[in-house]
Amino acid sequence: MKVIVDNLAVNYELKGKGKVVLLLHGWADNHQTFSRLISYLSSKYAVVALDLPGFGESETPRQAWNLDNYADFIASFLTKLSIENIYAIIGHSNGGALAIRGLSRGVLKADKLVLLASAGVRNSQPLKRVITKSVAKAGKVTTFWLPKSTRQSLRSKLYGTVGSDMLVVPELSKTFKLTVAQDVQADAAKLKLPTLIINADNDPAIPAKDGERFHYLIKHSKLKMLNGNDHFIHHQYANTINQEISEFLSQ
Amino acid sequence: MSKTKVAVIFGSRSAEHDVSIVTAIASIIKPLELSAIYEPVPVYIDKQGRWFSHPRLKDIALYTTGQIDDFLSKQKPLLLQMGGGMKITWPGIKPKSVKLGAVFPATHGTHGEDGELAGTLEMANVPYVGCDMPSSVIAMDKALAKTIASYEGIPTPKYVWFYSRDFMGDNDSVLTKLSGLTYPLFVKPVHLGSSIAISKVNSAKELINAIEVAAHYDDKIIVEEAINNLIEVTVPIMGNASPKAALVEQPILNSDNVFDFESKYIRQGKKGGAKSSESAQGYSKLPADLPKELYAAAEELAIKTYKAIGCSGIARVDLLIDSKTKKVYFNEINPMPGSLYAHNWKKSGLSNLKLAENLIDLALERFKAKQKLTTTFKTTYLKQY
Repeated sequence: MKVIVDNLAVNYELKGKGKVVLLLHGWADNHQTFSRLISYLSSKYAVVALDLPGFGESETPRQAWNLDNYADFIASFLTKLSIENIYAIIGHSNGGALAIRGLSRGVLKADKLVLLASAGVRNSQPLKRVITKSVAKAGKVTTFWLPKSTRQSLRSKLYGTVGSDMLVVPELSKTFKLTVAQDVQADAAKLKLPTLIINADNDPAIPAKDGERFHYLIKHSKLKMLNGNDHFIHHQYANTINQEISEFLSQ
Repeated sequence: MSKTKVAVIFGSRSAEHDVSIVTAIASIIKPLELSAIYEPVPVYIDKQGRWFSHPRLKDIALYTTGQIDDFLSKQKPLLLQMGGGMKITWPGIKPKSVKLGAVFPATHGTHGEDGELAGTLEMANVPYVGCDMPSSVIAMDKALAKTIASYEGIPTPKYVWFYSRDFMGDNDSVLTKLSGLTYPLFVKPVHLGSSIAISKVNSAKELINAIEVAAHYDDKIIVEEAINNLIEVTVPIMGNASPKAALVEQPILNSDNVFDFESKYIRQGKKGGAKSSESAQGYSKLPADLPKELYAAAEELAIKTYKAIGCSGIARVDLLIDSKTKKVYFNEINPMPGSLYAHNWKKSGLSNLKLAENLIDLALERFKAKQKLTTTFKTTYLKQY
């Protein structure tokens, strides 16, 4: 289903009835990443999942956006759907960082928060980040003579090799730089809502200690560390994640 | 004997640009490469509206790998010469020209299928495949097509159309106009194909949001009542004066009873996703699972509609059936069906090559008939000056 928000056509899914649960996907992903979670939760809740602008079937913002622009947009989207109260927000990866920033600024309001392999601790591995940036920059310089498609695929590989889930989407490269530049640790420290944090101990994109860091910063949080090496924990450990979330939301 | 050169024109400035690439390459160019009488010449219109021709444009991988922009940056756009036929010229130090024996338009949606290309080819006086300009213009305007069909006694669901500027200016008067319709309703941009921006709504709030979505893509909108106990069927038709139907086909609808873009081109009718290599038949029942009389009624109404709109060459008529009342309604007509609906024609006994060749034959037949019309009218009008 589509709706026009701030002159952008946005694709979303609204399934189930009851208290509203909002799902926010990560970078280069779309709302269908949550298809199993949506099926599971929609028997008890009204689950709203949107393709964030620039991803899935939603139009791309006309300017580069940071997390604040995205959070403001989500607020407008909810107003458009006449949704006033959010019971819970569930964010994966960059969607987690977005939820933290939106809640801390008061643009988004919710009773509960679930962070799945959440991004937002931008300086946890300074060396790794430096390598990422250097390799990516080197990639840009040394590959400028290659065909555009080869260049993009190579640059995506470079980002992938150094352990980032945030593949470069060409038309969103400025937005990518703005969003990954935003560290949300100070925002996380302001949160007072009950929060469930789930991470995988060998996640190649988000280190386990980022989850521990959020657990330390968010007062009423609970950390569940899974044994695994997949960043898309809601796919690989779907049953566990669904049950953990369901239990947390019903408390 | 040398083969007749047939320019296959595809791409263009349209939301259905990518669908057109597949139609042209898979259903027209590749089969015609086996033809003993016709030689396909690929003519690709890029998203900026520039025309190009090069043998590599016949390779689907050029588009799927995203190499097309790089490739085109090294090519010069074609020069077109019109009048007494159509000639395309590759510019350069030694320009090369080819006179086209016929043109096979394979564009979908705006700036092509909507009649613009047919009009251009008509001006050039070159034989071309498919509907002519007036019928394309009517077919590509869902409101106009329904108005003409209704006038000819063809049943359609109850509908209201309006310009989006009227809704943006004074939505109360538009909503009053719409209040005579019964929910659930379908909201559609009138000019877009492939079910882009179509919404099914159940309440006034949803209706306003859906109109905004349609208005985001088009300046004219149609809102129509949904048919109960719905069976949707589609009928590909081919011919000039005596059109013939292929098989009546029953697409698999999504959960909102919409045969949408995703169902057609992405999921290919499979729940939970399907690989693009799967056959087009995957998304439909072919032939439709209908009682004999209903099947015949659908076929008859489709041909009647094809004639009423003035189609020639090829088109596909979409119908809606209320399975309880057994009533068949005209929904919409597509002057250039995606991939020509070759899978359906194939099952009707026509190979991909024969389908493409027959369509060119029909284009030549129509062209010949038109040449017999007198286009001059002797008067003494100028003498008085």
